[in-house]
Amino acid sequence: MSSGGDKTAIPSKLPNLYAAAVCGHTWLAAHSFEIRFRRPAEFAFLPGQKIQVTYEGIKRDYSLLTIPEGDELAICVRHIPEGRMSPVLAHATIGQIFHLTPAFGFFLFQPSQRPAVFVATGTGIAPFVAFVRSGVRHFHLLHGVRCAEELYYHELLAPAASSYIPCLSGTRSPDPHWPQACAGRVTAYLENKLSAGDYDFYLCGRGEMVRDALRIIDRRFPSARVFTETFF
Amino acid sequence: MKIYTGTGDGGKTSLFSGERILKDNARIEAYGAVDELNAIAGALMAALPDSPQTSAVRTQLSQIQSDLFHVGAWLATTPDSPSASHLIPLTADPGKRLEGQVDAMQADLEELRSFILPGGHPSAGWAHLARTVCRRAERRAVTLAAAQSEKSDQTDNVLVYLNRLSDYFFVLARFCNHLAGIKDVIWRG
Repeated sequence: MSSGGDKTAIPSKLPNLYAAAVCGHTWLAAHSFEIRFRRPAEFAFLPGQKIQVTYEGIKRDYSLLTIPEGDELAICVRHIPEGRMSPVLAHATIGQIFHLTPAFGFFLFQPSQRPAVFVATGTGIAPFVAFVRSGVRHFHLLHGVRCAEELYYHELLAPAASSYIPCLSGTRSPDPHWPQACAGRVTAYLENKLSAGDYDFYLCGRGEMVRDALRIIDRRFPSARVFTETFF
Repeated sequence: MKIYTGTGDGGKTSLFSGERILKDNARIEAYGAVDELNAIAGALMAALPDSPQTSAVRTQLSQIQSDLFHVGAWLATTPDSPSASHLIPLTADPGKRLEGQVDAMQADLEELRSFILPGGHPSAGWAHLARTVCRRAERRAVTLAAAQSEKSDQTDNVLVYLNRLSDYFFVLARFCNHLAGIKDVIWRG
């Protein structure tokens, strides 16, 4: 249901909420899309922070893809047909109003002498996109997806990274189009391929990945610093 | 949102500044004591009877709970780490605010010439417990400060705040009994 034609009925800012109109929508892969909102006035955030999108009582957290200086707020959404929020966002029309909380969270890039290792699964790539758009460079990035089609934003991320390593969990053999890709999960790469060192790890994705990655990091990289953002 | 993540099952946790440390680390002990104190402040608020005067105390305690979150965040962050730049600076103002509140409550209380025994109204009992846990939090913070190689304004302000807060809870305990019409129990030795 669209409320885009009834803007006068919606306060521009409910207590602690911003009304934001959809201004763009792009499918990134078969099951994932980017949706963009016109940035409300006075909406401030830091790269890596997230928002909660609310619509008719449904609430979901999404990390922002965009940078604070831009005119738009963008999020990356995995489409779950039986879900309650993602189908609404998938079929949102230009001008449709959603309510957004102020940005929150502390998954922020911390400049350091240590090499940064970004580990994302699926749409957990979002805060790293924001990092790169805000100027972060010289990091190692592991992006875990099922197949190469889901390596969205690689055109942006790969040139900025010291190493860009797709981890394709849905394949057993190397993909000829992605010679640098590894077959298997990001956790397998952390366990078996990442060389020893003092790293700053940034983990963003599903809870199972974060939990398993932390167990490996605690064992293999005990002096690491770790920052996590868990998708539920 | 799920409350359980399983990321600490091995006995480690992450500081706000990212380090993975054991859960019995001195830094966890310090902000754990602050967390415990915050919970006791909540119990104290729940034990306050309703009245215009306790309404003012409730407002003070609500601010203290917020202060304690900031204190906990600083204790959970390695000084001078990049993450520290994302925290709201701790100033001397909250400590000074407590001094004003202590003075205002004391103006209504009889001068104390002896030790008193903790107890009386339930709210006073919680305030005494808060005082003792606050002292523990202060001791743990002192341990951290002593281990730091360099002086830090933030650490200094944490120590001042916890010291002042303990005094606040002592006076508040007496004030709660005063509001309830209960006399202090003097220690006879």
